[in-house]
Amino acid sequence: MKEVIIQGLSQAYSNLVRMFAEFLPRLLVMLVIVIVGLLVAYVLKAILRAVLHVTRLDRLSEEAGASRFLRMAALPSMTELLSRSLFWVTWSGFILIGISVLGVAGLQDQISRLFLLLPAIFVAILILFLGLVTANFLSRAALLAAVNAGYTSPKLLSWSIRFVIWTLAASMALEQVGVARQTVLAAFSIVFGALMLGLAIAFGLGGRELAREFLERNLSDKKKEKYEEPQPL
Amino acid sequence: MAEESFLADDFLRQLMSVGEVDLLVGVPTYNNATTLEQTLYSVEESLCQNFVRERAVILNVDAGSPDETRQLFVRSGERRDAGPGGLTSLRTIHRISCEYAKAPSNGLALHNIVAAVDLLRAKACAVISPTTTNLTPSWVVNLLRPVYRESLDLVAPLYARSRFQGLLVRDLLYPMSRAIFGQRIREIYCEEWGFSGRLASQCLEKDAWREEAVRARPEAWMAITAMGAGLKCGQSFLGPKMAPPTGTDIVEVFRQTVGNFFWCMETNQAQWLNRSNSQPVPTFGPDHELSLDGIPPSQEKIFDLFRSGVSELEPILASILAQDTHAQIKAIALSDRSKFHFAGELWVKILYEFAASYHHTVLNRDHLVQALVPLYRGQLCSFLLEHANASAEAMEEHSELLCQEFERQKPYLVERWQGKH
Repeated sequence: MKEVIIQGLSQAYSNLVRMFAEFLPRLLVMLVIVIVGLLVAYVLKAILRAVLHVTRLDRLSEEAGASRFLRMAALPSMTELLSRSLFWVTWSGFILIGISVLGVAGLQDQISRLFLLLPAIFVAILILFLGLVTANFLSRAALLAAVNAGYTSPKLLSWSIRFVIWTLAASMALEQVGVARQTVLAAFSIVFGALMLGLAIAFGLGGRELAREFLERNLSDKKKEKYEEPQPL
Repeated sequence: MAEESFLADDFLRQLMSVGEVDLLVGVPTYNNATTLEQTLYSVEESLCQNFVRERAVILNVDAGSPDETRQLFVRSGERRDAGPGGLTSLRTIHRISCEYAKAPSNGLALHNIVAAVDLLRAKACAVISPTTTNLTPSWVVNLLRPVYRESLDLVAPLYARSRFQGLLVRDLLYPMSRAIFGQRIREIYCEEWGFSGRLASQCLEKDAWREEAVRARPEAWMAITAMGAGLKCGQSFLGPKMAPPTGTDIVEVFRQTVGNFFWCMETNQAQWLNRSNSQPVPTFGPDHELSLDGIPPSQEKIFDLFRSGVSELEPILASILAQDTHAQIKAIALSDRSKFHFAGELWVKILYEFAASYHHTVLNRDHLVQALVPLYRGQLCSFLLEHANASAEAMEEHSELLCQEFERQKPYLVERWQGKH
């Protein structure tokens, strides 16, 4: 009986030693991978930052109005944001590789899934950024054109354009990361459809007078009363 | 030569067959078949009457007019055997024509004319627009003579105007160009003007012809280049400026003129940052002529557009203007129209802040120029309210005071320009 217990304990001890002997090199390999990953991420961040400085992305972002939103959200400049994102994406990738080297049962599948998701997350962030820039640019262009042409409610027009592009960008980004694809598609269709229906009803019912005035102004003799800009040159 | 790459072979052959000339008159056209004949008549008559011994060429640069303007130009040259009015020049007045593109482009048309001036070693060139329906032979000679005889490098036109015409020139383009570049040339944005072979050669060497701002208003860029290079500039009185028959797109005018001017400020900053005051330039004929005819435009609509612009564009204006300037604009936008007054001092400050913001690219440059339109309307409304019954002298005095205000505040522009936004 005593021998069995001692044998069991020694077996357990030798198993533990063997496990440690097998685990420690893996842990070391993981640490090496994480440290190398850190260095690679730093280098990639520095390269991307330099490239973005050369391409004057910050100026473009400032011009398009995206920087203003970043400042409002207490975020750094566009160059800094993208280079930091690349750093974290790269390093996270290396950390996940390192964890997978440990060979912990059950984690492998989860890590592979997460690993496959990383590029998609990066692309989604890029889509959101481009959507933000495009929405700001086009909504401001619409606002200026509407104000200078003397249209009523130029802000409504501007915000409608911004909202449509934001919705489109957000649904594209969610579609990219594969979050509830059917729900996103349905939600986008509902939002877009509702917006169009709302506009149609608003113009159809609320804007009858406006439409009549517009047609009268453009198709009848009242056209002659149109505002003429004093000769600038 | 660089220009050999963009001039068409047929055009080059025509230029070579002409040889060297003394004078060149450039006529850029696009669908001008109805007015071209009268333009050519005036040009030829002017050359025959005033430059009998000089070698001259009339150059038509056409943008592929569907109404066969170019063919009309060629045909009218073939059937001509003597000068108009029985006058005959001692030299042949050559006529050459080229199609520079399939769509009109001011920049490309002028680039062809300037290249031709350089290749033909012309001493003086006048650019004449066939859209000007009241062109007379005296206009052509008034543009060519100061260049050819007085050795000027640039001759800008001076027009007789009605008091409510050319308000952007009077309130913005002239006083600002005078304060910035230091020469009192009234019309650098024009359709008729003259320049020397020397200026043509200098401009041809520059790489700016493909720039959007130069493509839109190349004549202003050449004028600013001449002023910056210290070449001899002057102006010559032509006659009354006729208003175009169709309505004006003010935003497009702003893009082409104010956008172009801000761009020229940016690219020529070395020439103006240390320059102060302004100098008069040689002027042939009256310095200005203002008639009191014309009905004042409706101020009500202009004021509404100003007020709504200030309110709707508030975040955009806040990113361009200094805080106190923006506050002043918002305050006057709330005032009653009958008591509305847009001070010249504020107007100058606004323009200088816009120019500095353009330089620092605080937002898209095209959007920035568009954001100035409502403020111009405010200034315009104030001008119309205050000068509805003013005399020509009073209006000219107002214009001069505004010019002086632009010069007085120039250090503020330099400070904002060189500072960080």
